[in-house]
Amino acid sequence: MLRYVARRLLLMFVTVAGMVTVVFFLIRAIPGDPATYMLGDYATTEAVAALRAQLGLDRPVHEQYLGFMRRAFSGDLGSSVVTGQPAFAEVLESLPWSAALALAGIVVAVVVGVPLGVVSAVRQGTWVDMAVMLGALAGISFPVFWVGLASILLLAHEVRIFPALGASSSADPWVQLHHLALPALVLGLSVAAYIARLTRSAMLEVLGQDYVRVARAMGIPERRIVFRLALRNALIPVLAVIGVTFAWSLGSAILVEAVFSRPGLGSMVLKAVFARDYQLVQAGVLVLACAVVLVNTTLDIVYGLVDPRVRVG
Amino acid sequence: MDRGEIRLSRRAAAGVVARTLAGGAIALAVGLGAMSAASADGGTLRVRFGSDIGNLDPARIFQVENQTVAGHVFNGLVKYDQATNEIVPDLAREWSVSADGLTYEFKLRQGVEFHKGYGPLTADDVKFSLERVLDPATKSRYAGQLAGVKSVDAPDPSTVRITLEKPNAGLLNKVTAFNQGWIMSRKAVAEIGDDKVALNPIGTGPFVFEKWTPGSEVRLSANKSYFEGAPKIDAVVFKVIKDETAAAIALENGEIDIFFALQSPVVIDRLRKAASITVLDRPANHTINLVLNTSIKPLDDVRVRRAIAYGVNRKALIDGFFKGTKGMGHSVLTSSFPQYSEDVPQYPYDPEKAKALLAEAGVGDFTLDLVSVGFSPYDQIVVPIASDLNKVGIKTNIKVLERGAYLQARGKGDIMTCVTGVVGPPDPDSPLVSLYATQSFPPGLNTSRYDKADDLLARAATEQDADKRTGIYRDLLKQTMSDVPVLPLYADRLFLAHTAKVEGLVQNSLFTVLTYSVSLKN
Repeated sequence: MLRYVARRLLLMFVTVAGMVTVVFFLIRAIPGDPATYMLGDYATTEAVAALRAQLGLDRPVHEQYLGFMRRAFSGDLGSSVVTGQPAFAEVLESLPWSAALALAGIVVAVVVGVPLGVVSAVRQGTWVDMAVMLGALAGISFPVFWVGLASILLLAHEVRIFPALGASSSADPWVQLHHLALPALVLGLSVAAYIARLTRSAMLEVLGQDYVRVARAMGIPERRIVFRLALRNALIPVLAVIGVTFAWSLGSAILVEAVFSRPGLGSMVLKAVFARDYQLVQAGVLVLACAVVLVNTTLDIVYGLVDPRVRVG
Repeated sequence: MDRGEIRLSRRAAAGVVARTLAGGAIALAVGLGAMSAASADGGTLRVRFGSDIGNLDPARIFQVENQTVAGHVFNGLVKYDQATNEIVPDLAREWSVSADGLTYEFKLRQGVEFHKGYGPLTADDVKFSLERVLDPATKSRYAGQLAGVKSVDAPDPSTVRITLEKPNAGLLNKVTAFNQGWIMSRKAVAEIGDDKVALNPIGTGPFVFEKWTPGSEVRLSANKSYFEGAPKIDAVVFKVIKDETAAAIALENGEIDIFFALQSPVVIDRLRKAASITVLDRPANHTINLVLNTSIKPLDDVRVRRAIAYGVNRKALIDGFFKGTKGMGHSVLTSSFPQYSEDVPQYPYDPEKAKALLAEAGVGDFTLDLVSVGFSPYDQIVVPIASDLNKVGIKTNIKVLERGAYLQARGKGDIMTCVTGVVGPPDPDSPLVSLYATQSFPPGLNTSRYDKADDLLARAATEQDADKRTGIYRDLLKQTMSDVPVLPLYADRLFLAHTAKVEGLVQNSLFTVLTYSVSLKN
């Protein structure tokens, strides 16, 4: 088990380093640079050259990369060229907003998705199953920004249950939750659609297994078979997929953040890309990559604990 | 896990659901209660921003959101009257110009204090602020605006003397309360640090910078000891709401009081119909233009440029695409400039004339690259323009570039056309020098490489008589509209919307919003 954990952790490190490297070169490959952005319409060629030199952008890319990696290991991710603040500090400021949204979204997704998947599997072929699967298909098909806007129109304007703004600066946690509710629902329901479909197919597979048939033959109540025998086994693949959905929901969170005017890591990185704020993009991606990889590694390890077969592979 | 535990967990699950529902209901009740309580205190004005701030340092500032916040925090020697664009006193109570036009002397107001205990404003702070912009080490975006300033002196604490290398009648426009004209505290910059003042601005303005929550909001509090009197509101919060539809709903719901940077024709229409919402609009200081590169064939031929001017149905663009929310661009100066004139060559839509001009110029088949930045509406208006030009026989190739790539391409200056506007103060030099002077050749904005405006611009700068100066600018407008290196597509209009609670809001033409005059009704 220890070797398994160690190997996972090593892989995690390699993945994060790889992602940061790709982003480092990718952001420099797109046209435009921070000096042009900062100096604007009236910039002279000399001023741009001077600022490039000050930012170290005149040096060869591989040199910049080595320098960045060296500093990154000592915990220095540089400063944002736009605001002049340390990039890491700026990223950490947006992190709680994103974490709250992603977490609330996942909770909604699991609370809604798993029961629907179970019901749909147990009532396979009935109108309940059809309705749930149709709903899930719609959930996957409708883009999250459309659902977001529609929900604002409906639930914040026509029926004024929720505020139109997905964030509040109020110190009152209830007010914060009230503002978070609608974005979390929109994000969560789109993920719930995936989870419902996955739970359904996992449940169907398990319900068709010999031991379930034996249990039925022995006269064990159906309710017990479903919840005790089938669901516990079906949840193992679902658990693994939640890790993947976490990464996916961080991606969707960018759209949800934009629609609901909520600050967050996604919108911060996007803004930084537009401004060619290299340091901020790198710091943002590093933290995002760490979050995704950390969640997945944790789930992998938990998965290993739950299912001994995984450790062997 | 045994049977009992399963039951327990199922029961627990039901409990969690029940508690979540109950909690949600409580959150809802408490949340709504807190919201109505917040709106009852009435002292905080909430303004929508379309994007976040990033840098409030007057030497480096850009983007209307930054300029709006800075406009609340800083003052200049002089300022534009919000309604009339007339230059009126700000920190300087009076000023005089020497007979040769080379020396400007400003007398400062007494008893003006910087925020947060940074002491009284003196002439030395003005000297420091302007010299800081000029210092190459600052790498200011606006050093060029103060080019020609020989020295800034502070003979005594309440006198500022600016000496020029040669007369520049437009100098007052450069020291108004905008961008490089905003006055910082020498002490504050020294103590806070040159790179940290960008987000810790210390000024003398009606509002004090309190807190920035990245991606979310900027909070300012009233400066109770402001020299023109304390603001009528206690605080201003600028909330970042990117989507205009969401912002409109927030305004109608009373979650915000002022909708700044309202642009979408659909949303404008919606808010105009909404009860208890007031929509303000006025001409902006900028036009959006199609800049034609006169160094690339066949655009070097004035007949081809005029053919393009006749061939684009600008009226249809304004009436159709913009639903009448923009004005006709007769030159690069809009009607908010005192120098504005419609006595210039006009190019009403006339496809036949365009075809005739093209035939006369003898240009065969050519493809016009239409280069635009990937921002709405610029990325969209190139489509009807291309379609109009196709109808008169000009093939087009639309190139919509992401902002960074667009800036780079424009900076290189080898693109055939580009869609550009010069957003700025009502200083005629701002669009005219930027678009027509040879000093603005790429990487500047003169991507048309037009080189026939320098003489008139120099004459306007040295002419001390205001009427004669206006005459020179009008001659320049005639000449540039005859040569059409730049085709004004439309004159922008600015829209603001506010709720019935807001009183006394004056809209300016700078594309900022200043709330000093606002009071809130309960």
